[in-house]
Amino acid sequence: MVLKGARFIEILMMFGLLKTGKEISKSRLSFLLNLPAILFMMAIIAYPIAFAIYLAFHRVGIRELRTGKMPFYGLGNFQALLQDEVFWISIKQTFEFSIFVVILEVLLGLGIALVIHKTRGRMSTFIRVIMLLPWAVPPIVNALLWRFIFSSQYGYLNAVLYSFGFIDHFLIWLGNPKLALYCVGIAHIWRTTPFAILLIHAAMEGIPQSLFEAAQVDGASAWQSFSKVMLPLLMPALILVMILRTTWAFQAFDEILGITGGGPQNATWVAAFYTYRYAFQPPQDVGLGAASSFFLALVIGIFAIVYIRFFRKVQVEWE
Amino acid sequence: MGNARKRKKIFRQLLTYAVNTVSILFLLLPLVALLFGSVQTEKDLAVDVQNPLPNRITFINFVRLFQGTEVEASVASYIPPNMDYLGRAFFNSTFVSLTVTLAILVLGSLSAYSISRLREKWTTAFLYISLAVRLLPVMALMVPLYITLRGFHMLNSLTGIIITEIGFLVPYAIWILTSFFSTLPRGLEDAARIDGCSRIQVLLRIILPLSTPGIASCGVIIFIMSWNELVIPLIVSTQPQVMTIPVLLAGLTGDRYLFYTLMMAICLIALTPTVILALLLRKYVVRGLTAGALKG
Repeated sequence: MVLKGARFIEILMMFGLLKTGKEISKSRLSFLLNLPAILFMMAIIAYPIAFAIYLAFHRVGIRELRTGKMPFYGLGNFQALLQDEVFWISIKQTFEFSIFVVILEVLLGLGIALVIHKTRGRMSTFIRVIMLLPWAVPPIVNALLWRFIFSSQYGYLNAVLYSFGFIDHFLIWLGNPKLALYCVGIAHIWRTTPFAILLIHAAMEGIPQSLFEAAQVDGASAWQSFSKVMLPLLMPALILVMILRTTWAFQAFDEILGITGGGPQNATWVAAFYTYRYAFQPPQDVGLGAASSFFLALVIGIFAIVYIRFFRKVQVEWE
Repeated sequence: MGNARKRKKIFRQLLTYAVNTVSILFLLLPLVALLFGSVQTEKDLAVDVQNPLPNRITFINFVRLFQGTEVEASVASYIPPNMDYLGRAFFNSTFVSLTVTLAILVLGSLSAYSISRLREKWTTAFLYISLAVRLLPVMALMVPLYITLRGFHMLNSLTGIIITEIGFLVPYAIWILTSFFSTLPRGLEDAARIDGCSRIQVLLRIILPLSTPGIASCGVIIFIMSWNELVIPLIVSTQPQVMTIPVLLAGLTGDRYLFYTLMMAICLIALTPTVILALLLRKYVVRGLTAGALKG
């Protein structure tokens, strides 16, 4: 099917080329080839960024949406934002959530990648086969699933802990404001760890075996060859995973919406959830939502710059 | 001496066994909970709540889901009203994901070809822009897009969802495809050019056929990402006719009457397509994800 489509485009192109009589220049061709993607990215990414700045300085509530007139509001949205206690709680919790998620995930990813890398046999092969499953689970399904696991009344976690004798009565997980954020974090970690395992494992496979053999000849213990040989060589991959995962953990939304919906009280409000609630839920205030999304964009922008610089450096080294 | 070595070997074997078991439990236990939850009745779950294994296995939850809400309207058999649209949502999700994937593969391979083969300076910059764009928070973009789509009357339409998802996912595809295209040897292309192929013909006859695995990787990843996307369709569609599977499920979160066992049955139905796809095309997904993150 792909080939048939290709033939069709080819015929069209050949007609275009026959008319002009000579081949398009290289620079013109690369402009034409990139044009469709650029148009989509302008419409869906570049233009909204500019429009978001406009919205943040205008009053856009439900009434303004209906009438279509958006009066200039100056720094009003930002003022309201900074005075909102919940906004500061959300920011604090976004950081807490991201740090918790990323640290645990890198450790887990490193651990399971080591298991796959070092052990041979049926179980290890089986892990490779099922490794991607959590990654493929739709985030909202993951949320509902963990809601069942953490349920205080019917929860699977309580059932398992009880039947192994770790607890003698069912515990409250999501209803506890101190635990809820970390429970949501665990759900998020479960879904996204495969990505970390995958990247770290790929980096491990890339390390030449001869280095470990040399270390062994020099009398290095297993721990030494891990900490002195493998870990330093894995550093670029670990940093990459940390940057990517931090930016994604900062925007965590699906699990928050699905597991706790922000509760109990405000205990699981994070930045993306704050934006969602203010911009899209009653009483709708799109201006405030746009202003609040700048916090997310700012933090992630910093990470993006670090990411790109890091990427170029690593690439130069690899070449 | 020999004894100590033997003991060490046994210890190693036990350790291997233990770490493997822990890894498997971590990856699978939540899915086991989902499966066990979905194949029992709420009554059985409540009676025997301390037991993690199901008492009696029954498929009544699935049967009730497929029968719809008209049958038995008692509290014990409550089904959320939106579940009538489950089939519709499946169709919507499939349609959206397929369209998005096909469109992105076309747009992405045109861009990736010019970036990896024609090597103009500005296209390399464009590649790094797409890399940065991947990190942008989708929620931040949805605020202005909501008003724009509203202005174009594209809220509550599949077109609105599709266009937004294409724009948002195309940078990722460009990045993956570029890394696949640049691994092909340059000599092939030069030979074809000498034989009189135009640049477009090189793309269509040489690059594309040779990078079928790369295109498959990119395709399956984009399909799964599009299928799993929640934020974009959640904000674009509020009417049940245009809901995708994730949006339909997001509507269940506020439902106080919904039984956990029924919820798990719905979840099982909802995760089947992407999970099966990831299992079947595992090698492609692994290759694509690592290519997208590690190589340029």
